[in-house]
Amino acid sequence: MSQQGSRTTVDGDRTNSVSETVSRAAIDVDGLELTYSDGTTAVQGVDLTVPRGEFFGFLGPNGAGKTTTIKVFATLLSPTSGDVQVNGFDARSEARKIRETIGYMAQETSIDPELTAEENIRFACEAYGVKRGERAERVSELLDLVDLADVADKRAEEFSGGMKKRLDAATALAHRPPLVFLDEPTTGLDPKARNRLWEYFLRINDLGTTIFLTTQYLEEADQLCDRLAVILDGNIVADGSPDDLKREVGGEVLAIELEGGEDVRGRATTIAEEFDAFADATVTETEDGISVTSEVARQHGTDLLVALRDAGLTVTGFNVRAPTLDDVFLAITGDEIDTDEMPDGDRGVSR
Amino acid sequence: MSTPDADGSAEEYADVTAGEEVTRSGNSFAGDVWVNFKRWNVKAIRNPFVLVVSLVQPIIFLVLFTQVFGNVAGGAVEGATGAGISYETYLVPAIAVQVALAAAVTSGIGLVNDIENGMFEKVLVTPMNRTAIFLGKTAAEVFRIAVQIGIILGLGTLLGAEIATGLVGVVGIMGIGVLFSLWFVAFSNSLAILTRDQESTIIGANLLQFPLLFLSSAFLPLETLPNWIQTFARLNPVTYGVDATRSLMLDEDVMTVIEVSWFDGTLNGVVPGVAVLAGIGLLLGAVAVYLLSRASSSDVE
Repeated sequence: MSQQGSRTTVDGDRTNSVSETVSRAAIDVDGLELTYSDGTTAVQGVDLTVPRGEFFGFLGPNGAGKTTTIKVFATLLSPTSGDVQVNGFDARSEARKIRETIGYMAQETSIDPELTAEENIRFACEAYGVKRGERAERVSELLDLVDLADVADKRAEEFSGGMKKRLDAATALAHRPPLVFLDEPTTGLDPKARNRLWEYFLRINDLGTTIFLTTQYLEEADQLCDRLAVILDGNIVADGSPDDLKREVGGEVLAIELEGGEDVRGRATTIAEEFDAFADATVTETEDGISVTSEVARQHGTDLLVALRDAGLTVTGFNVRAPTLDDVFLAITGDEIDTDEMPDGDRGVSR
Repeated sequence: MSTPDADGSAEEYADVTAGEEVTRSGNSFAGDVWVNFKRWNVKAIRNPFVLVVSLVQPIIFLVLFTQVFGNVAGGAVEGATGAGISYETYLVPAIAVQVALAAAVTSGIGLVNDIENGMFEKVLVTPMNRTAIFLGKTAAEVFRIAVQIGIILGLGTLLGAEIATGLVGVVGIMGIGVLFSLWFVAFSNSLAILTRDQESTIIGANLLQFPLLFLSSAFLPLETLPNWIQTFARLNPVTYGVDATRSLMLDEDVMTVIEVSWFDGTLNGVVPGVAVLAGIGLLLGAVAVYLLSRASSSDVE
């Protein structure tokens, strides 16, 4: 699980021509550490370079340090140590310049419920110094972009969750920032609303905006992101394009559904782990059975099924497939990503 | 972004975002104050309930106290301030201070709401000057307090109160009311940051209101009250606010707790009160600013 290679290249470039990288990288982080005042270390030694124009995904289980990292980039938290450059500005000494050149959409929907949709966007335009003469046009442009033009004069408190999220997204783009941070922007949205936001993010990315996205939905990361990094316990443990990462999982995934409860899955796991042909395989319990990831999953899969039957277990279904990001995540973190509705999940650490 | 008529085309957007120069916003300090002043005023108008509620209680006090206690209290007032002053005239400055107190509580509530709905953080990631952000919010609240005091003075006049210093006095009473409100604005905001909870803020701030009002020179002359109340009243900002506004109302020095004779008459009652209130305002303001800046920078999340 190492993209060390490509990162070193970028770092090498930087030593060659500092100014060039400064103008090219949207985010350049070296040895970021953050310890909260209560002594909790949320981030330890994150190195990261995000080139301009990239759609970058930042994944990790709840409490891994995603939100903390994004808050450092957005100047809401000051790093304990390390060098953080955002849009070429230093996070400690040039916070205001960073604020002027980024958009930030927090994990919790952040809008003023007493203001109308239009007023919320107008306030953002004013707060970000959009020129007076351009404001009216910008407001209507953003209302159109997030399909809220017909409810422009309604107070935001009357909106559904999806509409509020879209309004929040629009306010983060008021000043057309070259870099936008999206912290779990689609958590809690229905699939239709989610798809709409995705289209919208892809569109502004096409127009040249660098996007830094954290998400709990691996499908979302797979569809949207050019490159991903996985953070675990405050460290980046993998990074690369979605395809790179899937390749690194190695082999194919044999998913087996079993009849019975937890003890059945436990026994099946033991059998699979002790199975000779799958000595190198990763075996994990899933919701309704087990999953075996191995180079030889296709060749020896049937043998395992027979062995399971001989042990008195009932196989109710199976399939062999190419790895998905879920498998990547499973292999890296040893745990399935928590896709339960836990919008506050990350805040345990960050608040 | 440099062209004044942005047409919002994709080309232009791409041009802006991919260019070497990142666009810097050109906000001025005054502009930032204005933007926030506007938002909080719009919110106040959207929520007339808050505006009305913080006026209702003082109005009830004004009407009931003058009608119920007027005859009894009138004697005590006359004994203390000389003849010819109605209880209405005596009470109106106290009600003005009560309005300032009640309205100041809503300042902290606004902050808690902002923290709860994410606007607090959202505003912190904008390039707006942070001092300007809170100055704009406070200016909106103080503006509202001035308007509410104006309403009370109008109502008081209708009930028979007389403002001896006329229009100058009206402006002066509004000014002192606003100055008086600052320490309680700071206090309610500090409560808001410390509790981060709307109900705690309301309860905490409201709990103090009645003791502060009754243990002061607000409703009766101090010398008619028990000694322990007189002692407490000397330490109570309400006494200074009420005595200063009352001096303007009656056009004579009725400051009960500090005796100065630097000026002629009325100003001897106004200036010490204003000075004490400014001092308390600065002190508690500094505490609130400290708590706010701690909450808006690192490590306290």
